Amino acid sequence: MNSVRIFFRTCWFQYRAMFNWATPIGYLSYKFLQPVGQILFFTELGIFATGRSNALYFALGNALQLTAINGIFGVVMSVGNERQFGTLPILLGSPANRLVTFLGRAFVHVLDGIAGVAVGLVLAVVMFQIDLSHANLGLLAMCVGIISLSTAGLGLMFGSLSLIMRDVFVIANAVYYLLLVFCGINIPVSRLPEWAQVISTALPLTRGVEAAREVVTGASLAKVSGLIAGELAIGLAYALIGYAMFRWLEHQARRGGLQEAY
Amino acid sequence: MTAYVRAAARAFEMSMKLRAVNPFTNFGWLVFPLIFVILGLALLGGGGRTAYAILGGGLLGYWGMAYVEGANEIQNERWSGTLEQIMGCPTPLAVIVVGKLCSSLLFGALSFLPAIAVGYFAFHQSLQNIDPGPFAVSFLVLTFAFFCMAVTLAPLYAMWRWAFSVTNGFEIGVYVLGGFMFPISHLPSWLQLVASGFAPTWAVRSLYAATGQPFGHDYALWWAVSIALSCAYLVIGWFLYRMVDVRARATGQLALA
Repeated sequence: MNSVRIFFRTCWFQYRAMFNWATPIGYLSYKFLQPVGQILFFTELGIFATGRSNALYFALGNALQLTAINGIFGVVMSVGNERQFGTLPILLGSPANRLVTFLGRAFVHVLDGIAGVAVGLVLAVVMFQIDLSHANLGLLAMCVGIISLSTAGLGLMFGSLSLIMRDVFVIANAVYYLLLVFCGINIPVSRLPEWAQVISTALPLTRGVEAAREVVTGASLAKVSGLIAGELAIGLAYALIGYAMFRWLEHQARRGGLQEAY
Repeated sequence: MTAYVRAAARAFEMSMKLRAVNPFTNFGWLVFPLIFVILGLALLGGGGRTAYAILGGGLLGYWGMAYVEGANEIQNERWSGTLEQIMGCPTPLAVIVVGKLCSSLLFGALSFLPAIAVGYFAFHQSLQNIDPGPFAVSFLVLTFAFFCMAVTLAPLYAMWRWAFSVTNGFEIGVYVLGGFMFPISHLPSWLQLVASGFAPTWAVRSLYAATGQPFGHDYALWWAVSIALSCAYLVIGWFLYRMVDVRARATGQLALA
């Protein structure tokens, strides 16, 4: 019961921290301007490179990848900012269950990430007349939710590095943009070199985006269940690795006195 | 005047030292362009559009350094707790910002090195058919446009925290309006109209024309429009610096925005 209370309190404080810092204009610019910019840029680049008939591929991929704004930037920084704002020693000194505290950091971002993808999909439909008439929208929503969860798992893993690293925002940036290359967002995975395909299979988004692409063309749950299960498993694996890293790095931070080393 | 030049030079020197050891700066000029060059070359392939991938990757890094690193300098001083000292010293804020901006632009210009290197070594692609004279002038005009935009954005970031969020949120949108990786003639006409009010767009067009892209050779016109728009930004920037100065002294809230 206590863990449930800590989880929801962590979520609530996470929410308040996010929205106390972000002014409404600032928040909306990340929720609307960034999706507009990203979808417009990559879809127009894709059209320039491959022709207008492929607009759906680029618009849909980038709309789905928007979840990484929260899953990567949001989650990584929610852990990383503890160090920057000087609250990390207090957090590490508290007796609260680490797993609950850790997951609570990500939950609000998962929800906000889903909202971000919804905005992205609406923009993709409006800007590029993406046809979703064959899509099972419930199943598409499920794909979006799972992608948000799995991306947050990766974010948690990299976020835990902030316990011993000062510049974790650099890593968040690199991961966010590398996902655009490796996860079948702008380049089909089959067109990547073999070594890159190996990396892409180990990343979140790859299977989830592939499943969503199939759902948009009318695929059923039975057809995409393997991809969805794989996406969930990848996200869970990253979250578990992240948690293990968090505990280990917490230990290292205590030993090295790095909690306040900023 | 000599004192101002000396102050700007010191700001430049200090800023260069700080940037050299800043991982985010090194990510901005070294890693970020690489990702986009790889993406660009994978999509655009070889042939006539190679320039859009290689130069485009460099342009993205250059612009990123100008607006994140350069224009955000006032905000960085605030977060470091040193803005009051800078505002309180006899040297105008703009002089200090100019010195810092020059260093961010110098690092930004480095973005073209990894872009060209990855194109050549990983994809065996390089920039061809370069017309050196127009290319060099176009690059200088582009640098001036980035400089003026950053000078103008800096006081905006100082006055309103959301201003950076808005520009950062629309960072990738700027790539579209600037025609960094594909020609803006590709865009809907209303968007082309918006892009035409953006000084770097004209300089980027002349830069690509100098690499053999089929835009014609109206270099003088493109440079003139870009410089005129850049000067207009500077005029707006002058008023904004005055506003920052007055607001900071009148409200005493310099450290709080």
